[in-house]
Amino acid sequence: MATHILNITKSLQKLTINSRYKIKSTECVKPCVPQACEVIFNNVIRSSANFFGKLPANALWKGITSVSNAGRKRGRAKTVSKKNIKDLNRGQIIGVGKANIVWPGLSAPIIRGKELVEQQKLPEDPDREKKLVQLRDTMGTFKFAKLNPMDRGWTGAKMPGRSIGPPDPIGEDKFDGFDTRVLELKTVFNMKGNFGRKRRLSVFVVTGNSNGLAGFATGKGLESKIALRKAKNRAGQKLMHIKIFRNHTVYHDFFTRFGSTKIYVSQRPPGHGLICHRAIKTICNVVGIKDLYAKVEGSTNLQHVVKAFFLGLLKQKTHQEIAEEKQLHLVELAKETSDFPTVLASPSKCREPKDVSNDEILNFTQYALNGKVVYRKRREAPFFTKLKSWEMYLKKQEKLRGQQQVRINMLAEYGELRSFLTEKYPECRPAKKPPKESQEES
Amino acid sequence: MAALRLFSRCLALKKYDSLPNIAPVSIIFNRTLKYLPKEYNETDPAPLFFNGEIQSLLKTLTRVNLNKVYRRRKLGQKKLDLPTYKFVTDEQLQEMMKDAEVKADELLQMPPVLKIRGVRDRVLSRDPALQGYDAATYIFTDITFGIKNIDRIIIAREPDGTLREADWPLRDRMNQVYFPLPGRELKPPLMFQDNYLEKLLTRKEYEFILDRSCIQFEPDDLDYQRVTTITYQHVNDNNDFEILRSTRHFGPLAFFLLWHKEIDNLLLDLIQSSQIQEANVLLQLYEKFHKVELNVTGLQNTEALEKYIKEFSNKRGSLELAVQAYKELEEEKKQMERDLKHVHGVA
Repeated sequence: MATHILNITKSLQKLTINSRYKIKSTECVKPCVPQACEVIFNNVIRSSANFFGKLPANALWKGITSVSNAGRKRGRAKTVSKKNIKDLNRGQIIGVGKANIVWPGLSAPIIRGKELVEQQKLPEDPDREKKLVQLRDTMGTFKFAKLNPMDRGWTGAKMPGRSIGPPDPIGEDKFDGFDTRVLELKTVFNMKGNFGRKRRLSVFVVTGNSNGLAGFATGKGLESKIALRKAKNRAGQKLMHIKIFRNHTVYHDFFTRFGSTKIYVSQRPPGHGLICHRAIKTICNVVGIKDLYAKVEGSTNLQHVVKAFFLGLLKQKTHQEIAEEKQLHLVELAKETSDFPTVLASPSKCREPKDVSNDEILNFTQYALNGKVVYRKRREAPFFTKLKSWEMYLKKQEKLRGQQQVRINMLAEYGELRSFLTEKYPECRPAKKPPKESQEES
Repeated sequence: MAALRLFSRCLALKKYDSLPNIAPVSIIFNRTLKYLPKEYNETDPAPLFFNGEIQSLLKTLTRVNLNKVYRRRKLGQKKLDLPTYKFVTDEQLQEMMKDAEVKADELLQMPPVLKIRGVRDRVLSRDPALQGYDAATYIFTDITFGIKNIDRIIIAREPDGTLREADWPLRDRMNQVYFPLPGRELKPPLMFQDNYLEKLLTRKEYEFILDRSCIQFEPDDLDYQRVTTITYQHVNDNNDFEILRSTRHFGPLAFFLLWHKEIDNLLLDLIQSSQIQEANVLLQLYEKFHKVELNVTGLQNTEALEKYIKEFSNKRGSLELAVQAYKELEEEKKQMERDLKHVHGVA
């Protein structure tokens, strides 16, 4: 009986001792002094097993820093964030502590030169604590390297649209002036009887020198880095020559399709820019086309869009080829040059007017599109233009129609806005905001 | 008013208070330019300028280059339009080219060179009874359709009761108010003021200045002649003839230089670029302008040139050197031709 009571008191004692070592912080902190705990546990007789004593440190650590899949589904992962998980063991070395003591054989060699090193206390290092705190602060707050806004892709932090540099040189041949852009990065799976589901990354890229030389390819790999490298280098091996008219646009309007993806591409004047699907825009940048309009119809499967566009680019005819085919001169009439007939291409032998039949296509665009007519939908007027209030608004606006120009002229002439009465009555000037300083004072 | 309506014409009436913005167009003369305007104010240059022979000679000097006549111009659009492409046969192409040449002739029509217009200050009547009736000047403008701006009746009733013909600046303004010409401003743009003009001249924007002055002013306007003559002098002093070649302003420029006997720079430029034909044309014009004998016989000869240099030139040294260099070059060319023929065994 007495021994029984003794056991109870001992277990009570153990409980109180344990409570002394309870972790106070709400943050999940890895116990940094396990040795002390063990010493205490070794001294007591364990009568009951709790998880704290039963499980190894690793399991405890995992239990506190992660949530099971089932728990995640129940919403338990909300409270566990990487920000709160801090490994207090990091940065701490056995034998080095707050009291700066030299322990021969632990934190210092036993023999230095011919002398035996003695245990001694050195003055405290004031920076140690600060360094530890700093290290702990950086834990759980990992930041991605800042990306220049110009280097960003099409959307967010995703890869598509981003540049991954020129293909790797092959021996002596370097890809100078080339740039590779990611067009697609997706996960693909392969199913096999013996291996099961295998996950890989598939990358679709286009590379080019912005001067009429470009190629595209896909690359696959378990990691994105490998897939990107594979795709880039493969694209460098599949370069195509692309004809660019006056170094800024396509030679003529054209229609192209791949599968059910149809693209209508049309030539545009300098300064117009690229008004098209983002993938086509990226390709144009890489190829060196600066002005173009393209409309994608049907499927917008990215690989199909790219293939259709490249097919169209490759099938372009130069003006010389067209003139030769048609056996007529090709003449350009531009408004900026006062409609001077600039001969773009002349055939080796020109046809006589009598040889030109009536039903022949003589419209250049029609000829380039092979007789296909692009449906241009008429844009309907917005609904509000039918309202009475819109009419009233227009009436009210009419007297203000030249206001902007009048303001500019007035500022140019008098240096201020004024009325015809200003000469006689100087107060006839628009109210001016007082200068900022006086506002602050008041 | 009723009496005026009897003319059975539309009359527009403007009442002007003594406002600052209707004060006669005044250009502030900040004399920062080193050039003085040289208007045609004594003898009338028009008979000479409109002479057919002189026109054709001036056109020869302009040296028409279709590529420059039809150069790419800024039309003030925000966006460029797509060009149109055409398939044409040989004949159609030749016709198009012919049309382009005809159009080039139109584009190169020279702005007329005229004597500056006289003062318009005819008083129609003085009615002291009307004195003090109003503080404003009443302007009556005949806005009947189909009358030329120059013939339009514009009269002004002064506050002191005088009824007078509108003076030129007032006429220009009223014409622009009722019959606005595209591109012409009601008040002359600031760029024609000397301090701004100087900046444009140093930037060699001659064509811009001359084109805009053609739009803004009438050719017999004092301001037009001030701006253009200053520009011509600047061009002449800086030897920037190439900028104005193949434009409609080269003729008037050459005319100005001939009129004021300042052709030495132009002549030097022509000789140095081996354009001896054009130099002779210039001397032909000089003969006609100043009634002197230079005996321009052939367009390839240098005799008339030498005579001019000896008798009338102000830059004798450099001109003589240029002629000498030209002769040597010609001789060298001939020698080379002979050598080539010899080598090929032709002669």
